[in-house]
Formats: sequence, C-alpha cells, structure tokens
Amino acid sequence: MIYVYALAHGLRQAPGIPGIDDAPLTLRRCAGFDVVTSEHDAKTESTEEAVLAHARVVEAMMPLATALLPARFGLAFDDAAGLEAAVEERAGDLEASLERVRGRVELGVRVVGEQGEPRRASTGRDYLEARRDQLAEVDGLHDSLAARAEASTRGSSGGRLVLSGAYLVDPERIPTFREALEQLESEHPELTFALTGPWPPYSFAAVAE
Amino acid sequence: MSEPARPLEEQVTLLELVDRVLNKGVVLSGDITLAVAGVDLVYLSLRVLLASAGTMDRLQLSNGDGS
Repeated sequence: MIYVYALAHGLRQAPGIPGIDDAPLTLRRCAGFDVVTSEHDAKTESTEEAVLAHARVVEAMMPLATALLPARFGLAFDDAAGLEAAVEERAGDLEASLERVRGRVELGVRVVGEQGEPRRASTGRDYLEARRDQLAEVDGLHDSLAARAEASTRGSSGGRLVLSGAYLVDPERIPTFREALEQLESEHPELTFALTGPWPPYSFAAVAE
Repeated sequence: MSEPARPLEEQVTLLELVDRVLNKGVVLSGDITLAVAGVDLVYLSLRVLLASAGTMDRLQLSNGDGS
C-alpha cells in the first residue's frame, strides 16, 4: 500500500526523516507532481503517533518545495498505478490549488467567548437580539482578519468556541496579521484569542468535489 | 512512567494540528483506502481536553491578569 503525505512542486528529494511506522519516504513523480509517499504492508494504524508522523513529514517538506498541498491523514492507494490515475484525474484542480498556496502559509485563529448566556437576555426577544449581535460581531472579527489574508475559511463553531478560522498569508505579512489580531483582542477583552501557525496550508488544499 | 501534563499552548497547537491533519488536506477519488479506525478517539480526547471550561479559563489567565 502506498501512503501519501503531500503533493508538491519543486521538490528535489523526500525529507530525510522517517514516515509513519518509521517507514522510509519515497519521492514519486505523478502526472507532473512531486508526491512524497511511504510503503506499508497493511492499513495505517490511526494512532496519535501516526498522525504526528504525518504532520512531521508535511512540515519537513515545506522548506524543500516551492508549493505544497498536504494530504489528509489516511490517503493511500493499493499501488503506484492507482495513485498515478487518481492524481492525473484531478491534475487541473491540483495545479490550481498549488498555485493558490504557493509561497504562502496558513495561520489558525480560535476565539473563545464568555461562559453562559449573552448579555441583556431578560426576555426571549432580548436573547435573540443579543445572539444576533454576537453573530454579527464574530462575522466582523473574521472579516477583519480575512482582509489581511490572501484567502480565508471558517470552520464549525459552537458552545464557547465562537470562531475557528484559517487564513492564508504571505509569510512577510504575518506581523501585520498579528497586529490586526492584537487590535481585535484589545477591543474585545471579553473574548479569548489563540493564534497558531504558521502551518502548511492544510485548510486550503482541498480540490473541488 | 507518567509524563508531565502538556503545557496549554502545546495543547492548543496539538488540537489545531490534529484538526488539520485529520479533517483538512487533499483527498483524491479513486483507489482510496482511508484508515479511520481509532482516529476519532485520538481527536476526541484532544477536543474534550481543550473544550473543557477549566482549560479555557487557564488560557485566559495565562494571557494576562484574568478578570
């Protein structure tokens, strides 16, 4: 079984680290893409260790490639022909996605709100209004950050997690992004912000279904 | 042999990382063998860890004076 870590452009060699289950990494050329893989006898065990090994390989590829699309954990093929066919089938979309992320990194932002009900919620109507205000406020947060990014995407939120966003940025614009976040943080002392990254562009790697 | 608890920043980073590796990234159609067994458990344990109010309160404290 051939396990796939990421597809890339401009990769001359696989990273010099082991893959999942300490399997050696192999660089394959498929339909014009550089694909980093490892071979396994059976299905990959989905342990935390395996997930971290996958992440380490993708991370190690970042400085080696000119553009990189991380694969989702568990992407594997029975043989080289299967991999080649699957890559070839989506070559156009993959190319477009690679162009979009070229030279860019992903930043993650999580915003956590206060515990309990929204303020001013003495009646059902007040509650709905407060809730609507809160949603608009969160949209505003996301929009301010998205304005500092080349692309952005929002994940699901719920409970105290009011925003889970991913932002694709040029590395030299990270300080600007951070300043924007600090500004929002000072405007919203009631919210807790967590900034992570820079990540390989996992959230911007999807190809159209 | 018990390891010390992971620092909070590391926990947040780990959640973000696992979220990305498991839920984002390229999926190709065709001859796919998705290995899913066990993944939900790994993910869930981290998620629960981070979503718990206690954890978030500590995050708030670590960011400043608290409220």
